[in-house]
Amino acid sequence: MDKVMSNRLVAALYVLPALLLLLVLIYIPIVLTGYYGLMQWDGIGAMTFIGFENYARLLHDATFWQSAYHTFLLALFSALSLIGYLMIALVLSGKIKGANLFRKIYLIPMLLSSVAIAQLWLKIYHPSNGVLNTFLESVGIANPPAWLAEPSLVLYALFVPILWQYAGFYILIYYAALKNIPESLVEAARIDGASPWQIAFRIKLPLITEVIKVTIVLAVVGSLKYFDLIYVMTDGGPNGSSEVMASYMYHQAFRGFDFGYGSAVGFFLLVICLVVTWLLRKATASKDTIQYS
Amino acid sequence: MRKKPIAMLLTLTLILAVFLSGCSNSGADGEGEASGSGSDGKVTLKFMHLWPAGSSAQQNKLVNEIIKQYQTDHPNVTIKQEVLENEQYKNKLKILSASNELPDVGVTWAAGFLEPYVKGNLFAPLDDLLSGSLEGKFIAGTTEAYAVEGKTYALPIELNISPIYYNKDIFAKYNLQPPATYDEFLNVVKTLTDNGVVPIALGNKDRWTGSLWYMYLANRLGGDALEKAINGTGKFDDPALIQAAAEVQKLVDMNAFNKGYNGLSNDEGKSEFMNEKAAMYLMGTWELPNYTTNPDVPQEFKDKIGFFKFPTMDGGKSDINSWVGGPGVGLFVAQNSKVKDEAQKFVQYFVEKWGESSVTEAGVIPATKVDTAEVKLPQLYTDLLNELNQASSLTLFADVQMKPTAAQVHLDMIQALFGKAVTPEKFVKNHQEAIDKGN
Amino acid sequence: MKTDTAVRLPAYPGTGTGPTVLRRLGYVLLYSLLILVALLQILPLIWLLLFSLKNNQEVFDMAPFALPATPRWENYVKVWTEGNISLYFFNSVWITVVSVVFTVLFASLVTFAITRMRWKGRSLVLGLFMVGMMIPVHSTLIPLFSLFLKLHLTDHPLSVILSYIAFNMPITIMILLGFYYALPREVEEAAVMDGCSVHRIFFRIVLPMTASVIATTAIINMIYDWNEFIFVNTFISTDAYKTLTVGVQNFIGQYTTDWGAIGATLMISILPILIAFLVLSNRIVEGIAAGSVKG
Repeated sequence: MDKVMSNRLVAALYVLPALLLLLVLIYIPIVLTGYYGLMQWDGIGAMTFIGFENYARLLHDATFWQSAYHTFLLALFSALSLIGYLMIALVLSGKIKGANLFRKIYLIPMLLSSVAIAQLWLKIYHPSNGVLNTFLESVGIANPPAWLAEPSLVLYALFVPILWQYAGFYILIYYAALKNIPESLVEAARIDGASPWQIAFRIKLPLITEVIKVTIVLAVVGSLKYFDLIYVMTDGGPNGSSEVMASYMYHQAFRGFDFGYGSAVGFFLLVICLVVTWLLRKATASKDTIQYS
Repeated sequence: MRKKPIAMLLTLTLILAVFLSGCSNSGADGEGEASGSGSDGKVTLKFMHLWPAGSSAQQNKLVNEIIKQYQTDHPNVTIKQEVLENEQYKNKLKILSASNELPDVGVTWAAGFLEPYVKGNLFAPLDDLLSGSLEGKFIAGTTEAYAVEGKTYALPIELNISPIYYNKDIFAKYNLQPPATYDEFLNVVKTLTDNGVVPIALGNKDRWTGSLWYMYLANRLGGDALEKAINGTGKFDDPALIQAAAEVQKLVDMNAFNKGYNGLSNDEGKSEFMNEKAAMYLMGTWELPNYTTNPDVPQEFKDKIGFFKFPTMDGGKSDINSWVGGPGVGLFVAQNSKVKDEAQKFVQYFVEKWGESSVTEAGVIPATKVDTAEVKLPQLYTDLLNELNQASSLTLFADVQMKPTAAQVHLDMIQALFGKAVTPEKFVKNHQEAIDKGN
Repeated sequence: MKTDTAVRLPAYPGTGTGPTVLRRLGYVLLYSLLILVALLQILPLIWLLLFSLKNNQEVFDMAPFALPATPRWENYVKVWTEGNISLYFFNSVWITVVSVVFTVLFASLVTFAITRMRWKGRSLVLGLFMVGMMIPVHSTLIPLFSLFLKLHLTDHPLSVILSYIAFNMPITIMILLGFYYALPREVEEAAVMDGCSVHRIFFRIVLPMTASVIATTAIINMIYDWNEFIFVNTFISTDAYKTLTVGVQNFIGQYTTDWGAIGATLMISILPILIAFLVLSNRIVEGIAAGSVKG
């Protein structure tokens, strides 16, 4: 087995095309972003080298750190919501009638483009005509807030569509993972008298641990980089109360014509993602991966 | 799954990819020639603009007519268009300029927007065109907004002023007259709120809409204090500017604006006015088609709309004929264009032809003079054009006047001001800091 | 080891002899929850359909779920005929298909090599791919544009396709990784003993075994690519290669928004992906059924 599987040439063949694309199309921009971050540049004229000034400025930039805090909150909520998705996937993977249908329906929001989702939720949150406020008023709540205009509420109001957008994605992954568990194992447990709870928590979950770890990383990193709905729905407003790191970066680079600084923010965001991922993997590392005997 | 279907699928896709890329490759190469003159005198011009057929139908149609006419008159010239909507256009322009790949002819905004491009030597000076057939045709002050250090770098094709549009029916219902002084205006606002009607439609998510209000208040109270503070010859802690900010918050406290205005886009805010839930709407003359020619708007609504000039303030430094407004977009020629001469000729042609028809065909007021006697226009247009001719001064929109980073600070501050997240004193202080930074 | 049993077991949710009432209640609660969640997910599509059949006034005035007085099919006609939608549609389709196929293929090859083969540096390569996932997209626009400019690939669909493959591989690999780790190795070991080459092991054994996750990642990639906007907008200038998302943006203007047209465009843009999704979904079920007969 080892000999066959140690064929370096084949390994190279399998890996090289992808690696090449990765290095050229992703790593070159990464390096360039870091490089631009060392410059004073409006994106148009000449660049001036200013060393780490941008990064120093970043460390003292209150608006940036506020956006970082917002991003952290998003990551937290995303990670926590995974629990809910996992539960739903567990239920679905049991013998539920119509599981297929449910699964397909759950994935539908992901089919919509961010623009469509944004427009929908803008309407839902509309202060006077939105479905949400009309409903609240009809049950007697006098003056429901303008969800996207209140600085204290806007961030949380945005979390809902963001999580909603990705729910189906994670449910899909968990479901596929759960379905991959050989039925015979589950049957054996059932014969042995295990309750559904025990089957779920003692058998199914441990077997998909790798997948769960992957989704945690995906959810957190995805949140750290998140941009779309924030940009379309509130553009980081009002006055930065829903700004996240990626939208802040965009504003600096493209609106403010301070491309050097924007690049520094982008590069810093990358570094944060790296650190967080490393921490996550450390925290969730297990000594052995569970395999079938 | 068996091996065969996979293999077949893969092979098929590969063939498809190669085939299509191959086709497109030859196509792209041909277009990859971009602009340039072939050996047989054929010229290709790249023109990028922001009037997509879907949303700016009338402008788009006019642009295409002008292009068609130009190509007929100059058979050796082909004009290739790239059309993007506003925000994407700005993005693309930025990216193209970073690689020095600007189209031969494109659209730009004035003053603060234009400056970095001029500094980066990306726009060609167009003063020659001003002394040609376009001499004297531009309304005073419009081309100046596009000049940096005495040279003009783009030719404006839009001119806009900002009246307060109002719903005559709603006013009549509560026995209100268009106010001439600010006190009368506040009275109007109060009467409307007392009767459960939203006085002013506003969608301040985009921030520049609130800026219009601030600018007028600053203008009525302090004359050109704002302009002076922006260009550095004055300071932002001018009492007039602070008071203008306070007046904005006073309006907010009076509930003058529709609910949730700070989170609504301009379109959403506007719909409050269009649906007759709000009585007034401060906006530029680019809105006029909605009150005159737009077939999608019911005629009975259009008949109800009038306008009045922003009221004057007691003891203020400005008269009622001072407007917030100025040139809209203009056309530039890329400095490194390989067909600069042809591009300049096209720009000249475009500006002329556009000026002749833009009002009647697209409802857009051009920056070149329009003879109201000659052209048959809806009443609102004639009235506003006449107002334009009598204007005592035009103050360009603050976020266009300012340099890009300062402009963003201004816009953010406007949103904070309207959201009462910042005091008038802090408001002007932040502005001063931004202006001092000089970028 | 598993023992086979001749006893027919009662169906889920349990073998216990607990009270039937409680079990039924559990069922009801469960189903209610599932249905509630499903409703929350499906309402948008209904709303989309509804407002695609209204005009601007109706959209702003009427309640979101109110039916239009007369369905305005002309929105669809207008959108399809004006503004090149059929061209954008076609572009979206072929660009998505090509990108997805190659992304999943490359990602599978890499994941296989990393999890099954032994060679120095496989952790490094994996790490490289994971880091690649972390770059914010907007940072890459200017560098990539310059790069494609130098390669004469601007305004060429290949720039978009290559970008999609490069940017989606990390996440695809990550998802595949989880599954590959959990795959039993006996089948492969048996194949090696039989003298199979690596290629045969990959294409004939592993790939079919991972059918369900391949279908999953194919769906995910399809969704990303189909709805992607910023790369197309940046790298493509001529209409001939623009995709549907960019075409939709053209309807959203500076001063006006034609809601009916947007709605119609979005509906048209969703249909193919909805159909493809439904088709592939069934594949997942097949793959699962085939794959679960083991152990």
